[in-house]
Amino acid sequence: MLPFLKIMFRNLLRGPSTEPFPLGPARTHKNFRGCAKFEPEKCILCGICRHVCAPGAIQLRPSEDGSGMEYVLWHNSCVFCGMCAHYCPTGALTMTDNWHLVHLGAEKFSNCIDEFVPYDECPECGAKIQPRPQAIIDKIGYRHPNRFLLCPKCKRESIARHAAKVHNKTEQAHP
Amino acid sequence: MLNLINKLAGRSPWIYRINAGSCNGCDVEMATAALIPRYDVERLGCKYCGSPRHADVVLISGPLTLRVRDKVLRVYDEIPHPKVTVAVGVCPVSGGCFRDGYSVGANIDHYIPLDVIVPGCPPRPQAIIEGVLKAVGVWRARLEEGLCSHS
Repeated sequence: MLPFLKIMFRNLLRGPSTEPFPLGPARTHKNFRGCAKFEPEKCILCGICRHVCAPGAIQLRPSEDGSGMEYVLWHNSCVFCGMCAHYCPTGALTMTDNWHLVHLGAEKFSNCIDEFVPYDECPECGAKIQPRPQAIIDKIGYRHPNRFLLCPKCKRESIARHAAKVHNKTEQAHP
Repeated sequence: MLNLINKLAGRSPWIYRINAGSCNGCDVEMATAALIPRYDVERLGCKYCGSPRHADVVLISGPLTLRVRDKVLRVYDEIPHPKVTVAVGVCPVSGGCFRDGYSVGANIDHYIPLDVIVPGCPPRPQAIIEGVLKAVGVWRARLEEGLCSHS
């Protein structure tokens, strides 16, 4: 009988359900996908994030002096889908739970991640190559870390030298 | 007298929504910000109104499609002067996923000046409330300026 009385007393004990947000902290779920975070020291400039970005929020611009690339992610175009973070091989891009992105219209082009990622140098010939941070060496370059740091040309030469050495050894062992 | 009215009006901004070809995601979040007790933008003195002639703060969502462009501009011109535009979502600023689409003429920015931007696809209701509060700050500053320039 009178089931609403039960509901009424329960709601009275529970207190208001309104969040105190502008006057107090807002509750954010831990899995909430907010704006992306970029760590330039982990980036290898592979460009997969730009490739999978549906709204085209990510740009990789080569710098004028050829010493690196400028990494730009415009938050005003990002739809927080998280594909860039999903496909990033080194974890340089991650999604945070930060949603405090409100800004004035005059600042709309400054609401972005703008980082400079410098190129590495090949230890043998000194050519400019994409950076090889420890994160990617651990992932795909752990078998030959020294060879992994070379530029593509030096790497081919190194592999050819190695193959010739192995070939000569087998020739000598089984003439 | 006008001074007093402006002082009182500044405490209760009326909000008007324009859907400029949005996918309805941002509109749902805007409705959520007002209608659900958990967020409830009305406790801050804001009120959604049905007529553009009563509005102070305009919430625009959507990338301004070609089909709806002239109608949006007509409605926007009906809003009385010290108005503040809030872009809800990324579409009005950059076009979002619809940028360079066949039915998206240009960014809203070419037609309507955006004063406050709430990025997100869609933004959460709390973010919209944050944007509305920021817009109210801009609007109050304009009310005080408008006294000199319009009277």
